[in-house]
Amino acid sequence: MKTKFNGILTLLLAFMVQMTFAQERTISGTVSDETGPLPGVSVLVDGTTRGTETNFDGQYTITANVGQVLRFSFLGMTSTTRTVGAENVINVTMTSGENTLDEVVVTALGIEREKKSLGYATQEVSGDKVNTAKDPNFVNGLSGKVAGLDVKSSGTMGGSANVIIRGYSSLTGNNQALFVIDGVPVDNSNTNSGNQRTGRGGYDYGNGATDINPDDIESLNVLKGGAATALYGSRAANGVIVITTKKGQDRGSKGIGVTVSSSITFNKFNKETMAEYQKEYGAGYGPYYEDDSGYFLLRDVNGDGIDDLTTPSTEDASYGAAFDPNLLVYQWDSWFPQLDTYQQARPWVAGKNDPTTYFELGHTYFNTVAIDGATEKGYFKLGYSNMNQEGILPNSEIIRDNVDFGGSYALTDKFTASIQGSYIKTKGKGRYGTGYSSQNPMQSMRQWWQTNVDVQEQKAAYFQTRENITWNTSDAHLDLSPIYSDNPYWTRYENYNTDGRDRIIGNVALDYKIADWVSVLGRVSLDNYNEIQEERININSSDVSNYQRFNRSYNENNYDIMFNFNKDITENFNLLSTVGYNVRRTSVSSIFASTNGGLNLPGLYSLENSANPITAPTENESKVGVDGIFATASLGFANTLYLEGSVRQDKFSTLPRDNDTALYWGASGSFVFSSLFGNNNVMSLGKLRAGYAVTGNGAPAYSVSNTYTLGTPIAGQPTADLPGQNNNPDLKPEASEEFEVGLEMAFFKNRLGFDVSYYDKTSIDLITPLTISTATGFTSQVLNAGEMTNKGYEVSGWVSPIKTNDFEWRIDVNWAQNENEVTKLPSDLQNILLASVQGGITINARLGQPYGTIEGTNFVYTDGQKTVNSTSTVGSRIGKYLISPTTEVLGSFQPDWKGGINNTFTYKSVRFSFLVDMQKGGEVFSLDQWYGQATGIYPESVGLNDLGNPVRNTVANGGGVILPGVKQDGTPNDLRASMDNYLNAYGYARNPNAAHVYDAGYIKLREISLGYTLPQEWFGGDKGVIDGMTFTAIGRNLWIIDKDVPYADPEAGLSSGNVQGNQSGVYPSTKDYGFSVKIQF
Amino acid sequence: MKKLILIGLLIVSTISCEDFEGWNIDDKHPGEVSGDYLVTFAQLQMARRVWDMNVNTSCFAMMAQYWTETTYTDEANYDFVTRNQGGNYWNAQYTNVLANLADAKRIIGENPLLSEGEKANQTAIITLMEAYTYQSLVDVYGYIPYSEAIQGASNLVPVYDKDSDVYNDLFTKITSAVNTLKGGGSSFGGADLVYGGDVAKWVKFGNSLKLRMAVRISDVDKAKATTMAGEAIASGIIMSHDESAIFPFQSTPPNTNPMWEDLIQSGRLDFVVSNTFVDVVAPLNDPRAGVFMQDNVVPYDGGPYGANNNYAAYTHIGTQFEDEANGGVMLGYDEAAFLKTEAIARGLISGDAEASYNEAITASIQYWTGSASSAAAYLAQPTVKYDAANWKKSIGTQKWIAMFARGIEGWASWRMYDYPAMNTAAQSQLPVPRRYIYPNAESKINGTNYEAAASAMGGDVLTSRVFWDKGVGN
Repeated sequence: MKTKFNGILTLLLAFMVQMTFAQERTISGTVSDETGPLPGVSVLVDGTTRGTETNFDGQYTITANVGQVLRFSFLGMTSTTRTVGAENVINVTMTSGENTLDEVVVTALGIEREKKSLGYATQEVSGDKVNTAKDPNFVNGLSGKVAGLDVKSSGTMGGSANVIIRGYSSLTGNNQALFVIDGVPVDNSNTNSGNQRTGRGGYDYGNGATDINPDDIESLNVLKGGAATALYGSRAANGVIVITTKKGQDRGSKGIGVTVSSSITFNKFNKETMAEYQKEYGAGYGPYYEDDSGYFLLRDVNGDGIDDLTTPSTEDASYGAAFDPNLLVYQWDSWFPQLDTYQQARPWVAGKNDPTTYFELGHTYFNTVAIDGATEKGYFKLGYSNMNQEGILPNSEIIRDNVDFGGSYALTDKFTASIQGSYIKTKGKGRYGTGYSSQNPMQSMRQWWQTNVDVQEQKAAYFQTRENITWNTSDAHLDLSPIYSDNPYWTRYENYNTDGRDRIIGNVALDYKIADWVSVLGRVSLDNYNEIQEERININSSDVSNYQRFNRSYNENNYDIMFNFNKDITENFNLLSTVGYNVRRTSVSSIFASTNGGLNLPGLYSLENSANPITAPTENESKVGVDGIFATASLGFANTLYLEGSVRQDKFSTLPRDNDTALYWGASGSFVFSSLFGNNNVMSLGKLRAGYAVTGNGAPAYSVSNTYTLGTPIAGQPTADLPGQNNNPDLKPEASEEFEVGLEMAFFKNRLGFDVSYYDKTSIDLITPLTISTATGFTSQVLNAGEMTNKGYEVSGWVSPIKTNDFEWRIDVNWAQNENEVTKLPSDLQNILLASVQGGITINARLGQPYGTIEGTNFVYTDGQKTVNSTSTVGSRIGKYLISPTTEVLGSFQPDWKGGINNTFTYKSVRFSFLVDMQKGGEVFSLDQWYGQATGIYPESVGLNDLGNPVRNTVANGGGVILPGVKQDGTPNDLRASMDNYLNAYGYARNPNAAHVYDAGYIKLREISLGYTLPQEWFGGDKGVIDGMTFTAIGRNLWIIDKDVPYADPEAGLSSGNVQGNQSGVYPSTKDYGFSVKIQF
Repeated sequence: MKKLILIGLLIVSTISCEDFEGWNIDDKHPGEVSGDYLVTFAQLQMARRVWDMNVNTSCFAMMAQYWTETTYTDEANYDFVTRNQGGNYWNAQYTNVLANLADAKRIIGENPLLSEGEKANQTAIITLMEAYTYQSLVDVYGYIPYSEAIQGASNLVPVYDKDSDVYNDLFTKITSAVNTLKGGGSSFGGADLVYGGDVAKWVKFGNSLKLRMAVRISDVDKAKATTMAGEAIASGIIMSHDESAIFPFQSTPPNTNPMWEDLIQSGRLDFVVSNTFVDVVAPLNDPRAGVFMQDNVVPYDGGPYGANNNYAAYTHIGTQFEDEANGGVMLGYDEAAFLKTEAIARGLISGDAEASYNEAITASIQYWTGSASSAAAYLAQPTVKYDAANWKKSIGTQKWIAMFARGIEGWASWRMYDYPAMNTAAQSQLPVPRRYIYPNAESKINGTNYEAAASAMGGDVLTSRVFWDKGVGN
């Protein structure tokens, strides 16, 4: 760390020298509004990239030549321009906006546009919204801040975030929003395996956008609909998040600016999102073991020749004997000769430290140093960030280093070269195992656990011996190998993963101004990374020991050439146009290798340590090319009426040669009707807009023909297997047609405003590896099969109920509702199976239903009442709910609506804000409850019933519970359902799936922050070394105000992607407390 | 300015048009392979279907009640919805076996390097492998997609054919394939890991399969059964261990015997021998008992079928079945001899039923113990000796014992004879199912045809019966 910092200092010095030599004329001044000096106002020299911002006292300094125009702009204020004349001081008073939408936003392909001219919905988020309450994955910081943007974190350290704009529009293809950083597209997909996504184990390695440094983000602009994204053609269907990184600023005589920011965040697991444990009964499944009570095994543990009571070691459940401190039992710690407690019995009581003591206090350090500067010739910036995160699980860590740089230089009056880039190095260790796997401690802790086990004693046993001393051995005393669950500390310290990713994202561009009204831009951009993922299972684990490695390299290049036209045809008539050509080349190369049948030497993780000769590694090579020609033109009339059209033709390498091109287009218009009323104090802005577009989604590589998989030869004979997926030689790309209208209004000098959108999107020809009857010989058939619609409203609005010179209270609201329906499937198919997950649950795209139905067995209803079994000859079924004979739709993972309310209070330099984020509806199936409620670990399985007897007594003995509902004859249920073993009334064995499908809605206090900017006078004002210092205290996810999902966070899941609505061994979410300081020199 | 033009040209030249010719060819995976590759793979998969006792796929050891489960007893209690066993077995048969065999047939037919004789022989052998697989599917489910199956994109919703129709068509195909192979000549060679390309042995395999099917249908169509059995015997069935169809599982993963994977590699202790098996076998002084079962508990004690059983307390499955390379018997001499016995006892063919019965049991003892020396004493016991008056009990009991761990045949035998008496599963109180249920997904993805088949069979339920199953059950 020290050497890195020294390096930066050297660079910094070099630049200081450079900057001071620059010779130019300096203009300075103060910008203010009616309330006083205005910090943060953007000052730009028109026609150049040179710009600066006013400081904390509203002061700015910039260099310019006589005759150049300075443009002052600030959100909510009317932009103002001043031509540089003889004076050296230009003071400006800005007026708050009759026209809020003079702001300039970055739209598709990096084209900057005045917001008021746009005929489609975009929503801008400033960088400080994602880099103040800093989440290592900045994407999570967007939740609740943009109407129509659905962000869901999977809930593991470094895990992926699902980012959906305006609903799901592809049945099985990519639905993730496209991120574009300074013109470089960054795919947000993940490389998680199919098993990982469906909850069968594996690690979540995060999503593509995770790598972006939040500290380098100047602003984000969310392009929601097709009309906004049409220029991206075949990548536009899922919406685009355009990220603009920070640029250098002209600081006049100061030369350069240095920004140092540092933050620390602590992550504490949220108890409300973790299992609770009953403390009345211990290990077992029921009374069928060896002693007289049937609850214990009999083993001569202490060697006195007499059999002793021992815990049923193989039984990963808590349906055993009632705790009794007077009963002495030989437990796991008495079976291992390595332990001091060997051969010692102990009282039969609940483990003092239950699994909630397993979590540690996680923390994240985030440090950034950035320098920047600019002259009239150009700017430069260089930043270094280090992120160091330790999770809430033992032995978990992610370290990320980002170097971000950018510069621009005017080689001549007309010719400008620029470069933007980031180098990102990520190293992960001990990511959390996910899903139904021994590598996921939550699997046993939430589903299969013995409540008599003390987690801290397991910890001590592991650290004392470094052996897999588990409570869950194959036999008590006689066979101490693990059967299902390893010691949870062994899992973390022996069976951990490591991973690394080196990534470069960047572009170089040359811009040549042919004439005042036309310029040409050539740009080459790159997103390249190499990653390795290594996974280990040591010898003596419950799973077969293993080492596997996955190496993958990804490269995407985009070559763009664009001609930009901007001409005032008449005084009132402006034409803005871009014509261009884009070449995209993506290649992916990967190799996966694994040991075969175990390891020879313990703790050595290499392929040559394989117990058997390794089978051939799996190699994959793919390349995708898309060539696009595009044009867009916008006509503006008197700053009131705007019309825009875009068209793009894409040619795909992945389609059949004789049919490989597709045409996309969009048209939109806006009418700024407020300009008809002139300046007034009531309506600051009124704008009506409408747009229509056809966008698309390309075909994946190798979708048009089949290949075989070569298998491991048997006795020297080669083998081959037909693929499960039958590809389609007649494939075409997917298309989405979208219509949208919107109304934007602002009142009372911008004290109040709103933006409402309605959209209606139909996605057709959806490329679908359709799950088909395997009697066809294939598991899936690729078809242009489906049609889906998304219709919805988006509302964003703000109001400042109080605004004085010193104080402002501002409320921002975002709300969006999306209605999705699968409207067409091929032939007479009713359903597409997206995933079959554990518990008999399927996730589906069903005709006539919203995408992502969760299907499984349901209750049987009689007159709307749940019906219990009142006639069975099987005693353990009596009084339990009847289960529907076939599976039914139990819900969908898509929410009804999502929204966020943010309140900001500003008093002088103190700023306090809090964000309440909410989701209504959407369902989730909990495998954790499905199993956990059967194994008797949760409090629901104990206590007293209506008779005052322990529910765990047999029904004959007065136990059991009466479930709400009716008997099969329709009369109220009065039958007690047994609760004396795992065939109880609540768990998987005797309950329909529907019992564990929950409403995924929530209300959360997502973010709370308090910031204080120290007065500049403290540092000697203008002459001081320090320009500003800001302290911020933040909290994230501190309070789940309301939720339905028991013992878990409703947002917790497995991975980003199309399989949502399934909780399997999920982790508790964390409450994050942070503190940051930012100093500007 | 010249420099600028130069730079401009440089940019434009990097952005050149590409016609993308050849971009859809995957460099790492072949678009075409030899038919041999697919046949070898299909044989592995056929053998796995018989020997895999993974609870997610094949629960046949519990259908026949040879084994029962310890802690997690859903499958022993015949819950096949939760883990979609019906789907997993079906998918493996159609996609891993039948699809590869059909594709191999196509490739072999198009291969100009093969002589017409080789093509005919190879195709005939594939037909026999297909027949074996379809016959298993009928026995497990009843109605199945057959005439419209394995047609890929050209038929995404194949109709289910009536089970007896499938059998009838298979008889014709087997007869034709056997006739082709009787001409002799070469076929696959080493790629055929079962018989090494020996067409004479495939003839015996085909006839034994035909005999198996003839015996199966004898309660529903005795005339046809008589004709088919007669043809099979006349043409020659498997008569020695050397002629048995056994797949050579390997001693290292991934081509090991799947039973080793289930019992050992998994690290789980899911199975014990059930009381159903121990209660029948223990009193018989069976010389195979020590092979089929471990002596961890003395005397043998089978776990109560379907109950929660403490692993340590009950008899474990024999160590022979924990061997990675334990032979994958698909159709053995012991079974063929039993089939002959059954055909005689049922009057389909003439012969000495008792001699044939003794031959079958002796073959089984020889196979499992490595010696036939203990067979005579075993057969001499009144409890074992062939009882012509109650031949169903004799054959039903002894064939069921001989098929130990080959659950699919043991279960079929029990459905034919209803011997020995089976237990009701302890927790679900369900009797032994008469069939598997269809894949969970079929009702969703091939709904119309699924509904038609299910209703014709009396519902897609465990109690519906395959057409040949006329037994009384328990």
